Amino acid sequence: MIRSFKQWTLNQKLAAIGGLLGFFALFAGDPYRGSTATIDTQELAVLVQKEVDHISSLELADWIIQGRTDYRLLDLRNDAEYATYHIPTAENVLITGLNDYPIERNEKIILYSDGGIHSAQAWFLLKANNYRGVYILSGGLDEWKGSVLFPSLAETATPEEKDAFEKMKEVSKFFGGAPQTGSRETASSQPAMPKLEMPAPSAVSGTAKKKKKEGC
Amino acid sequence: MNAPFFKFGLFGDDVSLIVAFVIGIGFGFFLERAGFGSARKLAAQFYLGDLTVFKVMFTAIITAMIGLYYLSVIGLVDLSLVYVSPTYIIPQTIGGLLLGIGFVIGGYCPGTSCVAAATGRTDGIVFLLGVVAGIFVFGESFDLIKEFYASSSLGQLTFPRLLGLPYGLLVFAVVLMALGGFAGAHWLEKKIGPKGIWSNS
Repeated sequence: MIRSFKQWTLNQKLAAIGGLLGFFALFAGDPYRGSTATIDTQELAVLVQKEVDHISSLELADWIIQGRTDYRLLDLRNDAEYATYHIPTAENVLITGLNDYPIERNEKIILYSDGGIHSAQAWFLLKANNYRGVYILSGGLDEWKGSVLFPSLAETATPEEKDAFEKMKEVSKFFGGAPQTGSRETASSQPAMPKLEMPAPSAVSGTAKKKKKEGC
Repeated sequence: MNAPFFKFGLFGDDVSLIVAFVIGIGFGFFLERAGFGSARKLAAQFYLGDLTVFKVMFTAIITAMIGLYYLSVIGLVDLSLVYVSPTYIIPQTIGGLLLGIGFVIGGYCPGTSCVAAATGRTDGIVFLLGVVAGIFVFGESFDLIKEFYASSSLGQLTFPRLLGLPYGLLVFAVVLMALGGFAGAHWLEKKIGPKGIWSNS
């Protein structure tokens, strides 16, 4: 059996290579990368500077009304806050759960929290993990309340502003909000949040909606 | 550039269909070239005279395993994104038995029946019609077996995770198994001859 390597048949050579690769695998370590990632900080800085990572409340409201399903809306607040109110179509996931959450790298992902800080931090984590289309809901839930649920019209508004407000009223009502006219009431009383059942054009929330079936 | 390409968004749904088509054609081509379009060749496994199928399949397994393992160790593949079918132990055992019975009766597995049909074999075409009929019956009766279908779920299992062994050790063990299998198959083929064990009658 001991012949020089050249005299081996092709099958024997391939088997030897396979055996060697298998042997080295013993020392090559774990193929799973876990939660470590490398990032290009300049690339991210440019994205932030250009503000291409923002989505406004009105844009999002439009998408929900149209019933679009080509995005995933992630609510980063805790369960209790989520249960009290969330934007229709939102899924609840804590920032610590993002790594294991079933989202794809080529999906359009929109993040929101109360203000903008948590979603900005989550944006960074996802970007570092090579997720392509990650966006932040500009101003977070606060902005959503201010411009979609409870838009207000100042008494000194110009005609254009009044026109825009008339349109906003429709949007606001769709989401169960309450448009505010005049500055008196808004300042004093905080309007009640809409009930969760009301604004549900496409009542999918909490679950991953379009999970692709894979396998052979 | 990182793989899996689809998961990293290098191409979308449309292009993924084209990629799947190209890979599918390649898969079929090599199955055909290995002789797997013939039910006789496939059934020969069970007579131990010609173990080509065993050798080809095991070669494919360790080639893919070694390739994926090293590519992910050097960071070109993110293995955590490669889909692992979840395990439903009882339904899958029964499904495997059904597939095996079909294999023995018809002489093909689903992939090789497509190859046989594509090369114009009548038995392959009939087998493929049976596959389509089976899919139809399964789909129509899915409501009845839905509960059983999703029972005894164990999640996405892999051997390293299940046994708590280092990944590399398992790669080595499977390679050893394959090499042992090849040597054994070679020896059996020589000893029994191409006609198989039940050829004397």
